[in-house]
Amino acid sequence: MTSDTEPAVSFTGAVKNYGTVRAVDGVDLAVAPGETVALLGRNGAGKSTAISLLLGLIEPDEGSVRLFGAHPERAVRDGRVGAMLQEARAVPRVTVRELVTFVAGRYPTPMPVARALELAGIAELAGRRLDRLSGGQVQRVRFALALAGSPALLVLDEPTSALDVEARQAFWTSMRGYARRGHTVLFSTHHLQEADAYADRILVVDRGRIVADGTGEQLKRSVGGGLVAFDLAGRPSDGLERLPGVRSLEIRGDRARLRTDDPDATVLALAAVGAIRGLEVAPASLDEAFLALTSSVTEAA
Amino acid sequence: MFDYLKLEVRRTLRDVGFVVGGIAMPVLMYLLFTNLGADDGTWKTGAMVGMAGYGAVGCALNTGGGVAEDRAIGWLRQLRVTPMTPRQVVVGRTLTGSVTVVPAIVAVLAAGGLLNGVRLAVWQWAAIAVLLWLGSVPFTLLGLGNGYRLTGQTTGVTNMACNLGLAVLGGLWFPVALFPNWLRTVSACTPTYRFAELGTSVASGHAPTLGAVAVLSAWLLAFGSYAVLSYRRGAGTS
Repeated sequence: MTSDTEPAVSFTGAVKNYGTVRAVDGVDLAVAPGETVALLGRNGAGKSTAISLLLGLIEPDEGSVRLFGAHPERAVRDGRVGAMLQEARAVPRVTVRELVTFVAGRYPTPMPVARALELAGIAELAGRRLDRLSGGQVQRVRFALALAGSPALLVLDEPTSALDVEARQAFWTSMRGYARRGHTVLFSTHHLQEADAYADRILVVDRGRIVADGTGEQLKRSVGGGLVAFDLAGRPSDGLERLPGVRSLEIRGDRARLRTDDPDATVLALAAVGAIRGLEVAPASLDEAFLALTSSVTEAA
Repeated sequence: MFDYLKLEVRRTLRDVGFVVGGIAMPVLMYLLFTNLGADDGTWKTGAMVGMAGYGAVGCALNTGGGVAEDRAIGWLRQLRVTPMTPRQVVVGRTLTGSVTVVPAIVAVLAAGGLLNGVRLAVWQWAAIAVLLWLGSVPFTLLGLGNGYRLTGQTTGVTNMACNLGLAVLGGLWFPVALFPNWLRTVSACTPTYRFAELGTSVASGHAPTLGAVAVLSAWLLAFGSYAVLSYRRGAGTS
């Protein structure tokens, strides 16, 4: 038996190679029961491979992966895991209710099917066949399949990619509701705002490694710095990029925007030359934190 | 397991292609082949067994097409993250195959008895149905082997080729008596010929020959191994 002190998810030096590519390159992490964790990274950063390892769909080449202290396959067999995988398409010739009922029935303590459909926002689609639904509707069906068994650990790989804004909102509300009842949730995304808004904790993944681990606030703070903006008021912009702390300079119309590692020093230097009209200091955004943490050299888009 | 069987049988029977190609076609072909040209009572019975066998082989192979489709859409992968074990999934699929061959067998036998006036004893009807049903298992395994190994489209084509090739070679469409000698020798080794022989022996009033059972068992073993190997190869990617 596993105890409550056992982490819901733990990776110890996990490595997975695909040919010469290190898709997962020595990952250590522990997720406590009840946490909601986002795996944030660009496409190709290694998120999906990490999730495949986590679900026991593939075995690590080195290191180990444990769910509730056991081999992932064991945890899956015991019905402690529900997952929404990325590349799944509609299962043809079956209705939403039939499919959700079937999956719920595989688990020892499922939630009522009607409840799963309602949480996923597809109660009105229950009698429809999957192959006659839109992409967004199918994605919600897959969310219902993940929830149906009432699993202790819910794993969602890029869960909102096919959803419109409204469905996205509804999706996150349901996910939060499920997490609040003490379930562990781990989702992957490349949307910073989603990670920031809906996770207790963000793991930034880049090139198969976890390059940062903390709340959105902590990540922003760890990058430090910020943005200092002021009106040039006709003043030349030469030399501004050489002020203390300044990393980059951008001129928009009459306004100068300085990205700086040390906002205090930059502001003092600006004040010394009297360039403080319309002065504005903003902390780094999560976007900036993300860019600073991951190697932007290889950025695709 | 029973739920999985129910789900997959339901999905198969909702497939219009399956119902038309797997059930209606053999019945139509049977009626066509036996009611054109010279009429001979024994051919009506022989063709009935042959076409029921042809339908059963088609439906059995179709199970593999379903597996290839399920792999392609990620359904098998989704099953792997539920508490179902891979063994349950494979056994469930095999059982699905053995259930979905039944309508084709029953439909062609019914056409024979009701429309073509084939007269047999009750035990013969029952024995033919049961033997064709049991004898279709090697073909289900062949289909599964294809389905776990190949992509969806290739599986469809391969199954079709297996189905037509084995049907013609095995004399399910035309009596083997019309074949040249050398082809008859080949035919005697095919699983389809021996499969039909199970039924034709009973129809003519005696038990299936030892040869039929032996050859069919060898194919059962061969196709079974093929299915297991294919499954192992495809397991990582399903």
